[in-house]
Amino acid sequence: MPPVESSPAIPETIGAAIDDARDALETLVTLGEEVEDEWQYVQDLADAWRDRLDVVEADRSNDALLPEQGGAVQRVCAEAGLIEDPHRAIDWLSTFPQVVLAAIGERP
Amino acid sequence: MRFQDAAPDARAIVYAGIQADPLVARAAALLADATYEERLLARAVMNGESTDAESWRIMFPSLFAAGSGNERAAAILDASLAVAERGEQVRSQFRGAIVEALTELLLRRGNPAAPPTAIRRERRILFDGVRAEIHPYDVTIEIDGAAAAVDCKWGARGISADVLHQLDDARTHAADDDERLRAVLVIFDSLRSCGVRLERQTAPQAGTEIVGLETLDDLAAPAS
Repeated sequence: MPPVESSPAIPETIGAAIDDARDALETLVTLGEEVEDEWQYVQDLADAWRDRLDVVEADRSNDALLPEQGGAVQRVCAEAGLIEDPHRAIDWLSTFPQVVLAAIGERP
Repeated sequence: MRFQDAAPDARAIVYAGIQADPLVARAAALLADATYEERLLARAVMNGESTDAESWRIMFPSLFAAGSGNERAAAILDASLAVAERGEQVRSQFRGAIVEALTELLLRRGNPAAPPTAIRRERRILFDGVRAEIHPYDVTIEIDGAAAAVDCKWGARGISADVLHQLDDARTHAADDDERLRAVLVIFDSLRSCGVRLERQTAPQAGTEIVGLETLDDLAAPAS
């Protein structure tokens, strides 16, 4: 499997992984906001998952990741970037943070 | 309180074909024994863009670590990719049917002594003097004293006022008849996301049990 082009470097710490995840989350938010009826839900959902990521970062920011954990975060961020449909983006606003958290050994 | 088959309309007839697809039963059987993370894998793949298995193996290192030999995770990945490779509308119908089939399987585990007819799909619940709801419940438990009306959703976004009202109405109508009816909403999504969706709902929800991706196995707990 070739590396995903234009992806950021593989994160080596929890803090770096959370930074990458936040960026990918914002991309999903921007896309999901196109569904006008769900604008508020998109904001609420993003806030809830940002809060969860913030907690993990506060607890473990400097913890090192195994290469496969960093690779998983890089890949799932790239997967989020492939989403083009706003409705799927809303679904991924919930799915994406869960996959990131699982990759770094955290529960939702 | 009594249960009744829903009159099949055109949508239901088409959907019945999806429900009967062997892929639905295969995925549900795998997910019934799955861990939270394996269920999350299914959710991600069935709603993802990538359809190559290797990408997903990389995204879930704890399931697919070299030499781990996690055959169930591999089988879930295979079934989930089979769903993802369908067109958008069809994959959406498959996802819904899989959550319903999974719910039925888990509820049967929680009621091992119950006959097959005690747990049903697509049933309406009728109460004397109350106009029947148009939409059937996805799954029902039809056991005296342990009855339940269960609706199933793929994601937290599926939680709506209509769904909450219908479940709560059934529960309260049953109570009016001095019957106990559990109202259960099963969502194949994180409880965190469900909580976000529920927080802005004004429809009654206190009497409805919310079962999320992390707590699906509660459905298989022995009925109390």
